[in-house]
Amino acid sequence: MTRGLAIRDALLRRGLELLVLLVSISTLLFFLLRLSGDPAAVLAGDEADPETVALISARYGLDEPLLTQYLRYIGAIVTLDFGDSLRSQTDALALVMERLGSTLLLAVLALVITAVISLPLGAWLGFRPDATTRKWVNGLVFVLQGIPGYIAGLLLIQLFVVELRWLTSIGNAGPSSWILPALTLASFLVPKMVRVVAANTAEAMAEDYIRTARATGASDGELLMNHALPNAVLGATALIGTQFAFLMSGSLITEVIFAWPGFGALLVSSVERLDFPVVQAAVFVIAVLVSLVNAATDVAFSLIDPRLRAAGS
Amino acid sequence: MSMQDTGARGLLPRRPRALSLRAADAMLATGLVMAGLLLVLTLVFGLNPPASANTGSLMARFRPPALDGYLFGSDQLGRSMAARMAAGMPWSLGIALVAAVIALTIGTVVGLVAAWVPGWPRRVIRMLIDTVIAFPSLVIAVTVIALLGRGFWPLAVTLGLATWPIAARVVYAEAMSIVKREYVVAAELAGVSGAKILLVHVLPALRPTLLTMFAFTFADMLIAESALSFLGLGVPLSAPSWGNMLSESREYLVTAPWMMLVPAGAIVFAVVALNLIGDGIAAASRRRSGRAS
Repeated sequence: MTRGLAIRDALLRRGLELLVLLVSISTLLFFLLRLSGDPAAVLAGDEADPETVALISARYGLDEPLLTQYLRYIGAIVTLDFGDSLRSQTDALALVMERLGSTLLLAVLALVITAVISLPLGAWLGFRPDATTRKWVNGLVFVLQGIPGYIAGLLLIQLFVVELRWLTSIGNAGPSSWILPALTLASFLVPKMVRVVAANTAEAMAEDYIRTARATGASDGELLMNHALPNAVLGATALIGTQFAFLMSGSLITEVIFAWPGFGALLVSSVERLDFPVVQAAVFVIAVLVSLVNAATDVAFSLIDPRLRAAGS
Repeated sequence: MSMQDTGARGLLPRRPRALSLRAADAMLATGLVMAGLLLVLTLVFGLNPPASANTGSLMARFRPPALDGYLFGSDQLGRSMAARMAAGMPWSLGIALVAAVIALTIGTVVGLVAAWVPGWPRRVIRMLIDTVIAFPSLVIAVTVIALLGRGFWPLAVTLGLATWPIAARVVYAEAMSIVKREYVVAAELAGVSGAKILLVHVLPALRPTLLTMFAFTFADMLIAESALSFLGLGVPLSAPSWGNMLSESREYLVTAPWMMLVPAGAIVFAVVALNLIGDGIAAASRRRSGRAS
């Protein structure tokens, strides 16, 4: 298969997956909202009087047959019309998109930190895994993997904000306020990534082509940089694609801990207030974002993988 | 993936060596001892928590650990942190256990069916699995919990239902390699029914995989439960789950850091125990099946 075809197939597959995902999630939300009681009462909020509930019921067409409601609901989503936020009376999708930049900033910073820490550390661990110090570091990485990301965040706050008073932990107030949230989000991925890079490097170091290169007089550094590391980077790239969804889950909590103005925090506060137009818009944007990242990794993967590159030329 | 895959030394062409059997057994044993301790504490104190878990003395607020009989200190209402940690065990560990059982049961059934039924049903199942895995499960969980309400069962069921595709994918991949083995093909040729082959020949061969996955899923569910409770979308706000304790502790990070460190330590202890068990079983079974040689 040529590279172009491989890319086209990957994009088609991701597109289809996204479609299935959006339809099933929208359907799930639609029926859950109706199963859990009178949606008009939920939408109107706890303190609403009967007139308000009736008004909302009529405005959203909640007195009509279920199928009619469902079709209109899907139709509205297709045209990207999620309605207005019940709380602020502004367009729900616009509210979410406003915060897209903040969430992406945090995600990109976390990915950069993850790469900067785990590539060298993983390569060092995997290059000669029998060495005694590296066994101890391996053990340490194992324990660190047992610390959930949000607990790492609380520990970071305790250390740098409460004890040392070096940094602040509230909101986005310039680059120095990015450090802790970005480190927290990165801590969701780093231990896993270190272990994958180390395992990939160790595996590559045992391959025949490394033995050949060593026999022809390549130094340790050359072996690592030219032969073992590219292999490990390939594995790490594949992992970023699959872990991006996990990173989004992590940013939900990280943004709440640090009062970060992204859509993760918006989603949580909207869920608490049962502001469903915003919840639906946020879930929609997250689904599209995850699919885009997965599609991008697929493409990047087929561009770097030498096996596919050779087949394409 | 084992903890210490070892590489080649010098010019010897060697595949990465898995953990030695002894090291794998040591990991497993350590993990089991830690998990056993949690189980005993849950049965002895957790299910019948000391009164100091719920009623405190306002005279004894914010006592530091190991002072005046408070092993792990006391909280903003003068309740014993040690007693609250124990009282949280049935919540945190119980929900994680039920969720892991649900995820693994559904995942195993779906994975086995997908491995056995060729053609379009397999393609549909695989697509379904890939689709759900690609979506952040926490996003779905917070939304569903908001509608179903807080509580033990809503949380356990939601987490289980959000997690089964991961188990299904692993079971599917493993079962695909097992159904190609000679003894399964022989049974098939001998006319043994599909369901019987899956139950008698394929399922037992999956045992190490399922045990490993159970440990890791249990750990993941524990983290997810505490994360949701931490966000205020998990167990009822009055329940002493570890996530709720962490959530409360945020207001007192300056006065009483132990309020955060105690539940955090409990979660990390349990997760490390489960990871040790999972990695130990995986390394030992790889070693015994000779795949690493």
